[in-house]
Amino acid sequence: MRRRRISDVHVVAEVPSFESVAERHLDDVHAYLVYMTRSRELAEELTAETFERALRQWRRFDPRRGSAKTWLCRVARSAALDHFRAEERRRRRERAYAADLPSEMEDGLFGGLSPQLERALVALSAGEREVIALRVLLDLEIDTAARVLGISSTACTTRLSRALKKLEERMSADVAA
Amino acid sequence: MSQPDHESIVEEIRSARITASPELRARVRAIAASAPEAAPARERRPLPWRRLALVVVPAAVAVALAVSLAVGLRDSGSSGSRDAVHGEVAASPKRSTGTADTFAAPSAKSAGMGGATGLPVTPGRAQLYEAELTLKIGDLSTATKRALRLTHDFNGYVRSVEYGSGSERGSASLVVRIPVGSVQEALVKYSALGQILDQHVTIRDVQPQVDRRFRQLQAHRDLIAKLQAQLESPVLTSAERAQLEARLVAARRQLVVLQKQQAALQRRTSYATVSLDLRTRDKAVVVPHEPGRIGRALHRSGEIVADEAKVLVYALIVGAPFFVLGAVALGGLSVRRRRREERLLATS
Repeated sequence: MRRRRISDVHVVAEVPSFESVAERHLDDVHAYLVYMTRSRELAEELTAETFERALRQWRRFDPRRGSAKTWLCRVARSAALDHFRAEERRRRRERAYAADLPSEMEDGLFGGLSPQLERALVALSAGEREVIALRVLLDLEIDTAARVLGISSTACTTRLSRALKKLEERMSADVAA
Repeated sequence: MSQPDHESIVEEIRSARITASPELRARVRAIAASAPEAAPARERRPLPWRRLALVVVPAAVAVALAVSLAVGLRDSGSSGSRDAVHGEVAASPKRSTGTADTFAAPSAKSAGMGGATGLPVTPGRAQLYEAELTLKIGDLSTATKRALRLTHDFNGYVRSVEYGSGSERGSASLVVRIPVGSVQEALVKYSALGQILDQHVTIRDVQPQVDRRFRQLQAHRDLIAKLQAQLESPVLTSAERAQLEARLVAARRQLVVLQKQQAALQRRTSYATVSLDLRTRDKAVVVPHEPGRIGRALHRSGEIVADEAKVLVYALIVGAPFFVLGAVALGGLSVRRRRREERLLATS
C-alpha cells in the first residue's frame, strides 16, 4: 500500500498542471496557428479556442503517449480544421471564394522574416505551411510531426521537402523579379 | 541578393519569433486558471492491444476450460447411474409370453439348446398352431434356401420372406405354412439349420367354434328344408308364399356364409404357421472400457471444448465478412476524411 502511494505521488509529479502547460506552450501553439491561417487575428482566436478545448480534454492527456506540445498541436490542428471547414461552407454559400483570399499581407506576420520569405510562405497552402511550422518552427521530431498530421513519416518528410522547395523557388523568382 | 537555399530558409524561420500578444496571453491564462487543481487527476493507462490480447485470450481460454470441466464434472454423475444406462442398453430383447389360452414352449436356453420340441397336435380336434423359431445360423443364404426347400418338402408354402444381408451380419424372416400333421417334424428339421436362440409355440383350440358353426349349419339346412316343404303346400296365399320365399333366400345366403367361414377355419387349422427368424452371428459388441468419474468428466469436458471450438469457428466464419467489411468501411472513412482534410489545407 505504501509502495503504491509513493508510485502515485511519482506519477502525479510527472504530470504538469494545465496552467504550466498553457504558459509554456502558448507561443508554440500560436505560432503554429499563425502559419496555418496566415492571420494573426484568426490565429489568436483559434489559440484561445485551442486552450479551451484542451482544458475540456485535459483529462484525456497522457504524457506517456506524447508531449504536451504535441498534444496541444493536435488540438490546435483540429480547431483550425474545424474553422477551415466552416469557412469553406460559408464560401460555398456565398459563392465568393476568390474574394475571400487575403488581399493584404500583415506586416511581420511570421515574426520578422524577410519579405521574400514571408511572401513565399503566404503563397504556400495551409498544409505546406503547417508541416514547416511543426518541423522547422516547433522543431518536432519527424515521427511526432507525422503523428500530428495523421500521415506517415515518409509522407511528412516528402511534404516538408516539397514545401521548402516551393519556398526556395518562389523566393528565387521573387529575387529575380 | 544571394539565391536562397533550404538551410538558409530553415535557419531564418527558426530564428524568427512569433509571440502571443499580451491580450491573448491574458485570455489563455484566464482559461487555464479555471482548470481544476489536480488535473489531470486520472492517470489513464493506454490499452495496448498486444498486452490486452495476452491477458484476454488466455483468460477466455481458461474460462472456457473451467466451464467445460465444471459441466463435465456435473454431467459425469456417479458410476451407478452410468452403469444403469449401460445395463439398459445391454438388455436383451423381451420375449413374448404366452397368454392364458396359449401354451409357450420353454426357451432354447432353458431347454439346454437342444432341438426344437414342437408340441404335438391333438388328433381329431381343430387347433390353430403357431410356432416362432429364432435361429443363429452360419450362412444366411444357405440356411434360407434350405428352409424354403424344407417348406416345399413338407407340402407347405411361404407366406412371406424378408431377407437382408450385410458385410458383417444379416437376417431373414420367413413365415411359412406347414400342414399341421407335419409341423412337429418340420420344426425339428428347421431347428437343425442352426442354433436355437428362441422358440415359441402357440396352440389354440378352436374345436368348440367349429362345432358351434357346424350346429348353425345344420340348423340352417333344416330351416331350408322346412321352408321348401312349406312352399310346396297348395293352400298358401301369394303373400305367404312370397314371405316364405324371402326367408328361404335369406337362409340359403346365410348357409353359404357359414359354409365359407367353416371352410376358412378348416383351412387355418389344417396348416400351422411357422415364423422363422434366421440370424447370422451377431457382430461382437465392443464393450467400451468404463472410465471413472474423472475420465468421464474429462471426456465430457473435451466434448464441450470441441463444441465451443465449433461455435468459435462458426462465429469466425459468420463474423469475419462483417468484420472485414467494417474494417474496410472504417479504413475508407479514415482515408476519405484525410483526403478531405488535405484538400481543405491545400486550398486554405
